[in-house]
Amino acid sequence: MKPPPFRYARCATPADAVTLLSEAGEDAKVLAGGQSLVPLLNFRLARPALLVDVNPLEELAFVREEADGALCIGALFRQVALEATNLGARWQAITDAMPRVGHYPTRVRGTVGGSIAHADPAAELPLLCVGFGARFALVGPAGERSVEVDDFFLGPFTTAVAPDELLTRVSLDPPPDGAVSAFEEFSERHGDFALVSAFVGLALVDGRCSWCRVAIGGVGPTPTRVPDAERALADSGLADAELGIAADASARCCTTGGDVHCSAPTRRELVREVTLRALLRARGRLTDRMGSKA
Amino acid sequence: MGAEMVSPPRSAPTRAPEEPGEPEGPDELADVSFSLNGSMTALRVPVRWTLADVLRERAGATGTHLGCEHGVCGACTVLVDDQPVRSCLMLGVQADGSSVRTIEGVAASDGLHPLQRTFHEQHALQCGYCTPGFIMLALGLLEREPDASQERIRDVLSSNLCRCTGYAPIVRAVMAAQAEMRR
Amino acid sequence: MTTALVRTRAPSVGLALPRVEDDRLVRGDGCYVGDIHRPGQLHARIVRSQVAHANLLAVHVEEARAAPGVVTVVSGSDIPGLSEKRIPIRLSPGQLDRFALQTPLALDRVRYVGEPIAVVVAVDPYLAEDAAEAVWADVEELAPQLDPVPGHGAPLLFDMVPDNAVATFETAHGEDVDDLFRHADVLVHERFSVHRHSAAPMEPRGLLAEFDDDSGRLTVHGPTKVKHFNKRVLADLLELAPDRVLLVEPDVGGGFGPRGEFYPEDFLIPWLAVQLRRPVKWMEDRLENFVALNHSREQVIEVAMAARHDGTLLGFRSTGWCSLGAYVRTTGHTVPRLAGIHMPGPYPWRGFSTKFVSVLTNKTPLGTYRGPGEVEATFARERALDLVAAELGMDPPELRRRNLIRSDALPYRVDTGAGSEPLVYDSGDFPAALDQLLVAAEYEELRRSQAARRQDGEAVGIGVACFFDQGGIGPFEQARVVAEPDGTFTGYVGVSSIGQGVQTALAQILADELGVDVDRVRIDHRDTDSISDGTGAFASRTTSFGGSALILAARKLHEVARARGADVLGVNDGEVTVEGDEVVTGNGRSVALAALGCEAAATFESTHVDFSFGSAVAVVSVDRPTGKVTVERYLGHYDVGRAVNPLIVRGQLDGGAAQGLGGALLEDLAYDDQGQPLSTSFMDYMIPTLCELPTVQSSWSEHPSSGNLVGAKGAGEAGIIGTLAAVANAVADALAPDGVIVRSSPFTADRIRALLRGSDAPMSVQPSQVGAG
Repeated sequence: MKPPPFRYARCATPADAVTLLSEAGEDAKVLAGGQSLVPLLNFRLARPALLVDVNPLEELAFVREEADGALCIGALFRQVALEATNLGARWQAITDAMPRVGHYPTRVRGTVGGSIAHADPAAELPLLCVGFGARFALVGPAGERSVEVDDFFLGPFTTAVAPDELLTRVSLDPPPDGAVSAFEEFSERHGDFALVSAFVGLALVDGRCSWCRVAIGGVGPTPTRVPDAERALADSGLADAELGIAADASARCCTTGGDVHCSAPTRRELVREVTLRALLRARGRLTDRMGSKA
Repeated sequence: MGAEMVSPPRSAPTRAPEEPGEPEGPDELADVSFSLNGSMTALRVPVRWTLADVLRERAGATGTHLGCEHGVCGACTVLVDDQPVRSCLMLGVQADGSSVRTIEGVAASDGLHPLQRTFHEQHALQCGYCTPGFIMLALGLLEREPDASQERIRDVLSSNLCRCTGYAPIVRAVMAAQAEMRR
Repeated sequence: MTTALVRTRAPSVGLALPRVEDDRLVRGDGCYVGDIHRPGQLHARIVRSQVAHANLLAVHVEEARAAPGVVTVVSGSDIPGLSEKRIPIRLSPGQLDRFALQTPLALDRVRYVGEPIAVVVAVDPYLAEDAAEAVWADVEELAPQLDPVPGHGAPLLFDMVPDNAVATFETAHGEDVDDLFRHADVLVHERFSVHRHSAAPMEPRGLLAEFDDDSGRLTVHGPTKVKHFNKRVLADLLELAPDRVLLVEPDVGGGFGPRGEFYPEDFLIPWLAVQLRRPVKWMEDRLENFVALNHSREQVIEVAMAARHDGTLLGFRSTGWCSLGAYVRTTGHTVPRLAGIHMPGPYPWRGFSTKFVSVLTNKTPLGTYRGPGEVEATFARERALDLVAAELGMDPPELRRRNLIRSDALPYRVDTGAGSEPLVYDSGDFPAALDQLLVAAEYEELRRSQAARRQDGEAVGIGVACFFDQGGIGPFEQARVVAEPDGTFTGYVGVSSIGQGVQTALAQILADELGVDVDRVRIDHRDTDSISDGTGAFASRTTSFGGSALILAARKLHEVARARGADVLGVNDGEVTVEGDEVVTGNGRSVALAALGCEAAATFESTHVDFSFGSAVAVVSVDRPTGKVTVERYLGHYDVGRAVNPLIVRGQLDGGAAQGLGGALLEDLAYDDQGQPLSTSFMDYMIPTLCELPTVQSSWSEHPSSGNLVGAKGAGEAGIIGTLAAVANAVADALAPDGVIVRSSPFTADRIRALLRGSDAPMSVQPSQVGAG
């Protein structure tokens, strides 16, 4: 379990990285935190000719709220730093999810951009992107471009980032004022990739659901929104029955078959349950907010 | 067979033995220098070597153990710039310019570190293979968060695997060391 | 001249002394095999079969031989006489073993994914792995045989082994079982299955072999557990005289049974070192560990069990099938054989019969793992007992309490038929021990709390299991005690340290026998030169047998010291005594043992086998919607005979239980239908973290064994034996309102959900198959 041979280059600027990537063609890989890539190298499941180490790009290690309320996170922002960032109530799904991203020592090295660009179908950060909605800044030889989340995750471990591009930041779309969000996942063991995970975002206006997002992970090639669930909740009073209908819709969205950890029928049951728990948690948060305002 | 067969015959096809240490093969080499337990260490290593292998095979720090080489077991945990990381998931070349601390640097000159002593007292080790990783993990946590709650300590300690103890003595040892380190 | 002081030394046996092993280990100064470096050492990489079953037509090594840094590449045809170099059996041979022994490299057929087909040797481990990828094989794939209970027409692994049944073990006792069944009030019949799992020690294996041309000696670093046996096997396979072979045991990162047996690599690496005249090192990686180290546990066990209305147990019949993997390895058929022996448990049956079959399968070979066969038999029997209790409407502990062998019946002997050793229950008080455990668990309160939580819709279960643990098996152990010039004593033993605390516990025993402080005693178990023979570290025998041998050697040392001391002091033997580290005369003259240069060796031999009693309680909750099982509490009570070091005993019992809970809940060496292993990493083979385990509460009683000089019955395995049964019974109890029957492990979320969906249908089985034929 030793990595295969590769060349290694450390870059000083994003442009530097792009130059190195362009010169190497398809065979180059960006090395950020390494918490997903290095295991793949050790297993010899990845065989890049060149690793471009972007760890020196400290200018990409940031988080900030934009004027429009979007949460902009630099690709090199360490997961442990995001975990420690005090975010508002509407971003609470992030606070829920971060302690479940691997373990403390992997979050020390692991980066936000690295996890997103790795695009494991069961990973937490890609699900948050899909759930909130997001735009990704990619720098390539022709400059910077922005990709919407719907066009970003293309399949398991596959994204819109071209071989000569570097993901530099992600902007999570701002939920409306007064919104809450929640994250739930199920794994057999603490710190493992989730068998299934769910994101829920909710806002209420006059007792009616004015904004809702339901997204699930670990259930198909990429994390995915569940339009049927969102339709079931939209404009509803978020009664138990409506949450149940939304959870049922989530289960129907599950396309992943069985694997060593989970048969297909169980996975569908888990999707339903985990979605329901995320919904209940989010609704509870809404209720708490009302309570505190009253 | 018998005792007189002092030199058994060779039958495997062999090539002339290579001199050890001679750079060979496809490997790109890089100079790396880092502080290892406070001493500057400069090495020329193949860029694909993990930090764990560089520490163990080139820097003589064999207290850092390899249990899985895919970042799950935590036996190879070391502190890089005072934060616990899996040294099997970092390339040696990436340690350039950083401060690396391993189990060999934990004990004070006048005796064991509180964590080392409490692991001993609480019987928090049996085979001892996971022990350096657990001690480095706990050290990284307690230096940064001296008042970490038991819940926080348990959450962080769940990063590493132990096959002998069932973990309870490890938690007790870290809690006891925390109390001592705060004094 | 002074008067000799009467030395009052408190005995150290029984004290919870922190271990002498720890200081080096907590400093990172341990020396595991990977930490040993030899100048000019080369690195080996094993090339393994990627397919489960195939004719091996050719192994192509040319490309790999030309790869950078490669010194040699060897396939089966490069080792002269390999077809005769079959790894022999150490324990529990079976009827057709001679057809199913493994050669260190495959020759014309591969039978499991992971079977070695070639070895690459290069100047560093990275280059060795590069070159290993360039070795390729021509194979003609065959259908794999993966079923522990194969139907007729299943593919054969060996033509000479019909039905893949390589060995069968039967026991029988007492009255005719059919007759007992006819007169029973209650008869239950079920088929249980235990999944494949194993030790997964934190340190994978490793070996470093070097051959010294000047002395003609081969030294191998890395062996453990049964070094003297392995030395003989290696010498034999290499055609070297045994005194040319030295095996050295480094620190070992966990044993648990599989580690230290003689594997293909234990021949290949030394053979390469001899051929190349350079040190050759091999470090197993984790992926290899999951296909190369012995697997264990996988068995299907059918039980039919009869009882009377009042709960009196009458008889049972059981048939087991053990998925032995592709070859019979060194531990032979210990797993199915011990399963058969342990089926009766601590109950006085009027009659029973067992039949266990070793079935070859295209999977990694199966061997012993902590509580081999005992875990599985306990699971099947105690599950069946709970089914009996349910039929009778009786509280499960009550059924056991009414039936456990009573202390006034001890020693209790059970003959088990021709060719099978009788079971002799030596000492203890089984019902009292169970009651003690139930009191500690606050059983009545647990039941009340369960009722309340059930009212609230929770699925909470309480599971109880009783068992016995065969431990401390012979035939012998050697020890040699040396009075060192510096006033310390060294006890050399043939047992091994696999991380248990052998050096501490044995030092306590030796110090007491010598009458000196424990810090003046050192235990050395390191190599096969310092002591001529040994049996090893398995079957919870290290303390009882190693300790007994040390006691005998210490007594002999005192005889030697008296004779020499008397000589030096110019008196008769009868006029001196040994007081600690001195030989003294009645009038107070003395000479130190250190000055006498004495040493003595002794062998402890015994055919006695301890059957110690244990019981366990598990409390679980099941989250019905997700299927997640949480073990809320786990308590075990064991008769350890004598607790030499309570700290170490607790560590063994708690740790054993934790390991067993991992096996019950999460760990699974699953295969797909092509024989591809699905759990070859720590991501897929889920060892529990501390979040998945309760704090285990172990307690023990001490009814000393009459079979050895220490009185210990062993603690290494006791903790794990009841885990699967207690958790299974607790899960069954939790889900009793759902009307499910718990038949098979593990209790992962997925399996629980399948149970609740009703898709865990029992395998079709006719009652006539039970024990028939």
